[in-house]
Amino acid sequence: MIAVLVVLALWELAPRLGWVRSESVPAFSDVVREAAAIVTRPEFLDQLGASAGRWAAGLGLAVVIGVPLGLAMGRSRALHALVDPLLVAGYPVPKAALILVFVLWWGAGDASRIAVVVTGALIPLVISSYHGAAAVRPALLWSARGLGTGRWRLWRRVVLPAALPQILSGVRIAIAISIFTVLASELLIRGSGIGAYMFTALDNGQTLTVFAMSVIVATLGFALDVLYAAAVRRAVPWIEGDV
Amino acid sequence: MGELEARALRKVYTTRRATVTALDGLDFVARRGEFVSIVGPSGCGKSTLLYILAGFVEATAGGVTVDSQPIRGPDPSRGIVFQEFALFEWKTVLGNIAYGLAEQGVGRRERTEKARRYVDLVKLTGFERHFPKELSGGMKQRVALARTLIVDPDILLMDEPFGAVDAQTRIVLQQELLEIWERSGKTVVFVTHSVDEALHLSDRVYVLSGRPARVREIVDVDLPRPRDPEAILALPEYSRLHRRIWGLLQ
Repeated sequence: MIAVLVVLALWELAPRLGWVRSESVPAFSDVVREAAAIVTRPEFLDQLGASAGRWAAGLGLAVVIGVPLGLAMGRSRALHALVDPLLVAGYPVPKAALILVFVLWWGAGDASRIAVVVTGALIPLVISSYHGAAAVRPALLWSARGLGTGRWRLWRRVVLPAALPQILSGVRIAIAISIFTVLASELLIRGSGIGAYMFTALDNGQTLTVFAMSVIVATLGFALDVLYAAAVRRAVPWIEGDV
Repeated sequence: MGELEARALRKVYTTRRATVTALDGLDFVARRGEFVSIVGPSGCGKSTLLYILAGFVEATAGGVTVDSQPIRGPDPSRGIVFQEFALFEWKTVLGNIAYGLAEQGVGRRERTEKARRYVDLVKLTGFERHFPKELSGGMKQRVALARTLIVDPDILLMDEPFGAVDAQTRIVLQQELLEIWERSGKTVVFVTHSVDEALHLSDRVYVLSGRPARVREIVDVDLPRPRDPEAILALPEYSRLHRRIWGLLQ
């Protein structure tokens, strides 16, 4: 907390005392004032809506694909052996580098942007769901089987809820990653969205706007993370500790 | 209902490194309404035997019958209680206990009502809305017991159920189990590593040998019932049986 305050104080004082040029680093208070002005502009809200839509679509698709895949890998050694090498190989690939490939395939539209978000969020979701499902103790599955739960019903009745804490941790990581990738995709493809809005400000030499947008995005990301953790604590009271 | 029989059971585990024979030609019978304990050196395959009787693990050779019918996988008529409780962490005490009824398609109102009776039976009144993480070990095992009893199994299979609770709680739970068993007439198969526990509870004790497990001896426990956990310790017959089983386990 003190470290944060020191950084903010330096940020405020450096341009004011002439240590850096305010065209390169505007004072913190100016940035905050600009950010407050930006968030009320309708065109900003339009761009925010565009980004939020892509973010939600990408994250949602990644959850729909990644969670079942990870759970199935956790319960099937064969599937794990098949998919795991792909994850290991894919993990260090910077997902932003795939944007151009997607543009080649699907053009510079929403499909390519969303595809980047999906690829970025997919791996942490698959890995966390896998670990969740692999850690379900046999005694738990047997208890359910012994009480009349059929083989297929086990997925919904035991595997999914037992793995839920890990899945929710994976979603938390995926939220952070997908905010990053949606911005990266918009900075590269432009067109519309928060990333494009920032790039246009940079092109027009509006340093203050660029900084203000960064502050807005950082605040949104932070708020989303805090809200998510709070919502999980509330909705899933049986989890031990934090997700 | 509730006669459990296993003939010539053999179980061989094959891993990448080795082949382990857990059970080798083991016969087992629990008659209707009987309380049978299984004791043996740790790691001898007691739990494996229980899991085969439950239908969770398939025997390499030999078969299990209930009332002369071969078993086919797990079934609510053979209830199980594990040492580590294996409760559904995401369900409340009431939800855990009502689980089996939900799986049988019993309506919400009816199963909640019945689950409340079983909450009372295992003396957890007032804890209906608690999650497992909020309970002590002894309370968790009460939940597990009620969750199994509510579907009214003919046979109760228990895998060192009181091994993870403190000594005092253990005696209380043993006594409560005996009361429930005496009233219900269920067949109980009880795995334990405690000779005292086996003698306190059982009609007969299967003493198994070390791996691979074979039946070393079947000991009849002719102690009077209802058994007082303190009073039976003073009986000469008790010490005689205790020495005998200890001797077999060495």
